Amino acid sequence: MHIIELIFSPLLALLIGVFFLGLARKVMARIQWRYGPPVTQPLIDIIRLLSQKSASHGVAFNIGLVMSLAGSLVITLFLPFGKIAPMSNSGGMLVILYLMLIGPLGMAISSGESANPNASIGISRKLLLAMGYELPFLLVVLALMTAYNTTSITEIVSLQRDTGWSMFTFPLVLSGIAYLLILPAMLGVRPFEVVNAPQEISSGPLVEYGGPYLALATLQHALAFFIGISLFVNLMWGGAANPVIFFLKMLVVFFLGIFVNAVFPRLRIDQAIRYLWRWPSLIAFAGLILVCVTGS
Amino acid sequence: MTGMEILLLVAFGGVMLTYILGRISSSLRNTFAVVLSLVLVVIIALMYDKTGETIFYRGFFGIPMSFRIDALSWLFAMATSVLGCLSVIFSLSYMSDRKNISFYYSMLFLVNAGMLGVVFSGDLLSFFIFWEIMSWSTFLLISFNRGPAVAAGLKYIIMSIIGSMAMLAGTISLYTNYGTLNIADLSHLTVSASPGYQLFLLIIFGVAFGIKNAVMPLHTWLPDAYTEAPSPFSAVLSGMLTRMGIYGFLLIIYVVVGAARFLHAADSTVSSFNYVLAWLGAITIVIPTFIAMLQNDAKRLLAWHGIGQGGYMILGIAFGTNMGVAGGIFHTLNHAIYIVLLFMSVAAIQYRTGGVRDLNSLGGLIKKMPVAFIGALLGICGLIGVPLTNGFVSKWMIYKTLISGRAPFLAFAALIGSWGTILSVYKFLHNIFLGQLPEKYRDIKQSPFNMKLPIIVLSSTILLFGILPGLPLRVINKIVVSFGFDSLNISLWGIVSESGMLNTINLFAAILAGLIAVWLFFRIGARTIPVKQDDNYAAGAAVPRDRYSYTAKYYDPLFRMISPYLKDIFNTFYMKIADLTGYLSNGIRKIYTGYVGNYVMYIVLFISLMIFVQMKWSPW
Amino acid sequence: MDRNQLKKWFQNPVKMAHKYSLHVVYFCTGCGIIEIPPSITARWDAERFGIIPVATPRQASLFIIAGYVSLKTLRSIIRTYEQMPEPKFTVSLGSCPINGGMYYDSYNTIKHLEKYIPVDGMIAGCMPRPEAIFVGVTHLWTLIDKDMADGYKRYRSNYSAYRANQEKILGKLEWPPLFPIHGEE
Repeated sequence: MHIIELIFSPLLALLIGVFFLGLARKVMARIQWRYGPPVTQPLIDIIRLLSQKSASHGVAFNIGLVMSLAGSLVITLFLPFGKIAPMSNSGGMLVILYLMLIGPLGMAISSGESANPNASIGISRKLLLAMGYELPFLLVVLALMTAYNTTSITEIVSLQRDTGWSMFTFPLVLSGIAYLLILPAMLGVRPFEVVNAPQEISSGPLVEYGGPYLALATLQHALAFFIGISLFVNLMWGGAANPVIFFLKMLVVFFLGIFVNAVFPRLRIDQAIRYLWRWPSLIAFAGLILVCVTGS
Repeated sequence: MTGMEILLLVAFGGVMLTYILGRISSSLRNTFAVVLSLVLVVIIALMYDKTGETIFYRGFFGIPMSFRIDALSWLFAMATSVLGCLSVIFSLSYMSDRKNISFYYSMLFLVNAGMLGVVFSGDLLSFFIFWEIMSWSTFLLISFNRGPAVAAGLKYIIMSIIGSMAMLAGTISLYTNYGTLNIADLSHLTVSASPGYQLFLLIIFGVAFGIKNAVMPLHTWLPDAYTEAPSPFSAVLSGMLTRMGIYGFLLIIYVVVGAARFLHAADSTVSSFNYVLAWLGAITIVIPTFIAMLQNDAKRLLAWHGIGQGGYMILGIAFGTNMGVAGGIFHTLNHAIYIVLLFMSVAAIQYRTGGVRDLNSLGGLIKKMPVAFIGALLGICGLIGVPLTNGFVSKWMIYKTLISGRAPFLAFAALIGSWGTILSVYKFLHNIFLGQLPEKYRDIKQSPFNMKLPIIVLSSTILLFGILPGLPLRVINKIVVSFGFDSLNISLWGIVSESGMLNTINLFAAILAGLIAVWLFFRIGARTIPVKQDDNYAAGAAVPRDRYSYTAKYYDPLFRMISPYLKDIFNTFYMKIADLTGYLSNGIRKIYTGYVGNYVMYIVLFISLMIFVQMKWSPW
Repeated sequence: MDRNQLKKWFQNPVKMAHKYSLHVVYFCTGCGIIEIPPSITARWDAERFGIIPVATPRQASLFIIAGYVSLKTLRSIIRTYEQMPEPKFTVSLGSCPINGGMYYDSYNTIKHLEKYIPVDGMIAGCMPRPEAIFVGVTHLWTLIDKDMADGYKRYRSNYSAYRANQEKILGKLEWPPLFPIHGEE
């Protein structure tokens, strides 16, 4: 059973991530009064990309991208999906926080090796944006870990079953609001889509990726989407006892993200940081103080 | 004659012998230097798991001077000797075309011997003497390159002397109070000390060790010193020498004062000192990490990280739980490994590019120097604390301590420091190794074998300690127990605490399986065609040579936001004081003209003033 | 359109994927580019068929040259075409790439684009309307189905001739040959 979960949960995550990508394109199209591609379009793209002979810029170009996707796959083993969390006893929230670095780092090494300044600008923006949202996000996570007095994500989920969803319990309300405010930035959707901006910097880190590389990068993007949403549902919305409910909750968060994506223009990177470091950070900071004062 | 005496004899004897051999033949000196450093490693390795104390000299005004060894000093000595050995091996080609190489090597050994003396000292007197030997020989090595290096060295030695004087005052005070300087005796005697006296001891020694470890308001010597010292010595300086401050903190807090006994007492001054120290550590993490982001000099960037990482160690040991102290010590060890690795990678680049360390003029060296790249990559992974590297485990322990100790704001400082680290070290990696290779480095060669060897050894150590952290933690656990804390619950591949656990071998297996799976998936796809860097997307144009890179102002949007807040005000303040002192001294020099007639006149004037005062008011 | 016939997907997934996931790099110097925005936005919505514009040639599989080609832009067209990963398809828009169109006597415009890079399909018109573009795409599907969209193979086998043509009109090129050049030394 354990072995099955170990193999099954990354594949499930990939599947859901790719489904979300397809659904995102469809929903965006309907919002823009278009018919839109079929939901399976990302899969078609991936098959096509895998069959193309792309240019490789060196060993680190390959390894970095592989490392990036592998790192994201490993996170899905630690994140509870419903009750499926095959490796949650090998490390908790801190491990997840640090594993979330491997994806961007691998991508950064790989696209840095591609020797294209557009990629470098993209990575620079990516890291800056990460710096922007990590500040409030860490405050939120610390508030959660302090309030529940644990660093294990499965325990945070199971404690919410007793006390109610963290988003709606008293000392964590502010943290919940802050998390909602930074969620678009964590998912990388439109007001914060500064990293892959195709019109400004030729899709940034992806500029030299073609063929199998772009297929891996698409999968990595799908997984990042999955992880971002799943983390929110687990931490703030009480997770779920069974996978179906969990998936429905993810779907709701996903639609929120897509609606934001559909109606907002893109911010500049400095505007994005300024936004993220102002209201979300202040609210998250107030939330952490609230938790410290009311707790213990 | 015990092992420790032999060791110190070998260490100090080697200093002179290296210099003398260097006068005879350089190859003889090089061989001797490598052999000597290896012998030191072997001797110390043989002393594993020994404890004891021997008096080696009684004659110093009746104060006995002694050596002692326990788990703490063994760990630091081992790290010192291994890193010293790697540094010597690395120096063989790095220093080969410089002048005064014999002097360099003998000073390197003197620093090494001084550090070994410090960690093996059984009493505070010999501690002080070895500390001074270490500090002064360091000064000579920092200033080795002349020019701006002399100013950097002067800055270092002046701050170091201030620290030493504080330490001397503390030592004298201890001697007058208790009549002994033996550390083991003192640790029993200080139980009865008043809280105020304990606080005095902690603060006065804390100034000395805080300067050495570059805790935030006392850090200003470090960036200049690291930048200007010869690179292999920068590695030793950042890896071990600066961390003698951590050794000192551990010694004074947990051995001499014995803080484990007081930390939970309600009215203890020790815990409030530790609380302040922890906050200093947090500040030391955050501000230097963000300053590092703005640097364009590879070594200066690493130097600011050296300060920042020191903050984690301080935070760990100041928080004063068994896991925190263990994490602090482990982080000291890990930091030594990866920062030495990073400095060596930079030095390898410098060696091949003719001393270039400006991040804006390098690039694309990954194809030319892959070993240095792997070293730098694993080094920055350790520095960030990416899982499976050693830095992750020690940072995890520190975070864990802070969170379960309900100090979320300290934990926040530590975590945000890590995220700031990513920005600057990625810039470091990108600007040196990634991007377009400039034309002038087209024919650059790999670094020689003796430069690769230390890099490979250290890189594999980073992974080894990251996957099997139980190896070093077993020794560290002994240290923690000897401080009077509870034993940690560790296994070879993980740590168990009451609120969550870490299992690195599972993590390793998962990541390895993930890598293999993704690699196989990648191989399913069509074959890829290797291309040169000129075959690159440039909107249809041919790639402009040497101009198709994005390195300068890498984080410009952030830079413009935060740079007004990140001035090194302490440095400015100290330099102002130094200027003022210089000004006053100049004023005094005006009086000392060197002309005897003037001095006679001063004496006559002074005596007449005295006589006048006596006649008018007759105070005497 | 046979996108929903699962049998074909199992028989030849790669070919089907190539048909229904055409990522396009548009070459936007000619007047034809004015017809592209309506075709990819809400009015005609090319994304229905999986056709989306991408930013760089590396990510693309279809190259649409929208309008006349001057000497200066030919250089970029060749560079972009060579950087696309194989298999790749080229479609030209308008009369100018076919025979020079209204620029038939211009000193600075290419008359026959297929002399310099292989072109799989040409959509005539001045300018062709978006409907014509879609008709062109369905023709391309047929060509892919019948393995007749083999421009990249022709480019590989006749590279020496293509390179000679390119160098004849552009002078020495800044980039090395993509494939080994055979022929007289």
